[in-house]
Amino acid sequence: MAVARGGREILYGIDLRVQAGQVVAVAGPSGVGKSSLLRCLVRLDEPAAGRVLVDGTDAAALDPCVLRRRIGLVAQAPAMLPGDVRANLAYGLEAPREAELREALAATGLAPELLDRDARELSGGEAARVAVARALTRDPGALLLDEPTAALDRDSAAAVETLVRELAERGLGVLVVTHDDAQAERLADERIEVRRP
Amino acid sequence: MTQVTVATSLVVLAIALSRIGRLGVGRELVVAALRAAVQLAAVGVLIALVFEHAGLAAAFVALMLSTATFTAGRRLERVPDATLRAGAAIAAGAATGLVPLLATGAFDTTPRELVPVAGILIGGAMVATSVTGRRLAEQVADDLAVIEVRLTLGVPAREALAPAVRRAAVTGLIPAIDQTKNAGLVTLPGTFVGLVLGGASPAEAARVQLVVLLTLLAVQVVAALAVARLVVAGLTAPGERVVPPTARAPSSRRT
Repeated sequence: MAVARGGREILYGIDLRVQAGQVVAVAGPSGVGKSSLLRCLVRLDEPAAGRVLVDGTDAAALDPCVLRRRIGLVAQAPAMLPGDVRANLAYGLEAPREAELREALAATGLAPELLDRDARELSGGEAARVAVARALTRDPGALLLDEPTAALDRDSAAAVETLVRELAERGLGVLVVTHDDAQAERLADERIEVRRP
Repeated sequence: MTQVTVATSLVVLAIALSRIGRLGVGRELVVAALRAAVQLAAVGVLIALVFEHAGLAAAFVALMLSTATFTAGRRLERVPDATLRAGAAIAAGAATGLVPLLATGAFDTTPRELVPVAGILIGGAMVATSVTGRRLAEQVADDLAVIEVRLTLGVPAREALAPAVRRAAVTGLIPAIDQTKNAGLVTLPGTFVGLVLGGASPAEAARVQLVVLLTLLAVQVVAALAVARLVVAGLTAPGERVVPPTARAPSSRRT
């Protein structure tokens, strides 16, 4: 794949595979195009060249909404939707069940009491986990995490790293983008380094 | 003449205050005041002719529609094909009011009735289009992070933009709703004043004003919804993507 920004190719020769139960890290300096790569994987942007295959099917042939439910993207410093945590987790679901929401929250190590908290008053660490839980309520096969610990203190960052490993152990394919080589080393089964051209 | 002198002084005061308040609209206020003066003077001379000739009346309505289109189009400048989208919304809104009023004979198709009524309805549609469209474009740019979260949760672009559409349309309709709610209490609307000054009875003037105000509500709701829909179409791309109005410049936001 190749990724462009503002009409200019910034990342090319990308060839990666994420399998169920595996953590793959894309490591490289800030500004190199890692976030743009993740956006292309869920078609928020179109790749400049190449294609994305999801279980062998070209992502361009999939309904984008279906694609984004199968592959959850959690942005760097993820935005919370207005309302409480429950509203965030349930957003876009046809008939959300309370048990499902609690389960998604528990999977990220958060207590069910958090459901009634205003999502915009969460700490950075809580918001990062709620964003993962929000993606999990779609029952995805894979998660794309963009600098998941960039804005967190050391304890919260360690907890999120543990969460990433747990998600892979639950059978999810996880693609983590990070500027931190040491984190990529700690977390990933496979590492891909990207550099400025 | 005293009236014009006092009004001109007030505009100068408004310009001075906008400078002190650093609003950055000083030039626009000057242009607006000068245009109003020139245009009203010209209309004063031409209107008698327009009222006498149906062809001139039709041309005058077309001039009103195209002026409203360019005015609202400039307000939506960062939206692709802004003028076309603004024009379509204004035409849809104005037609919603004008067609039934003329078809049922509520107003005559004579130039003397057609021109003022068309002007009021086109003007109302223009305001709703400008405010709603501009607010929506600004909101999409401001709330892009939240809108993209909605997209990544697997909803269609139109649904991800729905809260922004609702807020923009409500903002666009507030002047019409407040004007209607407060008619006769806070303001005596232009049609009413004009008719009374022209010699109509207050009861007759109130009846016509009510027709205009109620019609304007429908006109502005249609214009606001139409422009919102057209701006959404302009800011979305195949693949359920949202292309914010600022995205045409290269972005350095992403890593």
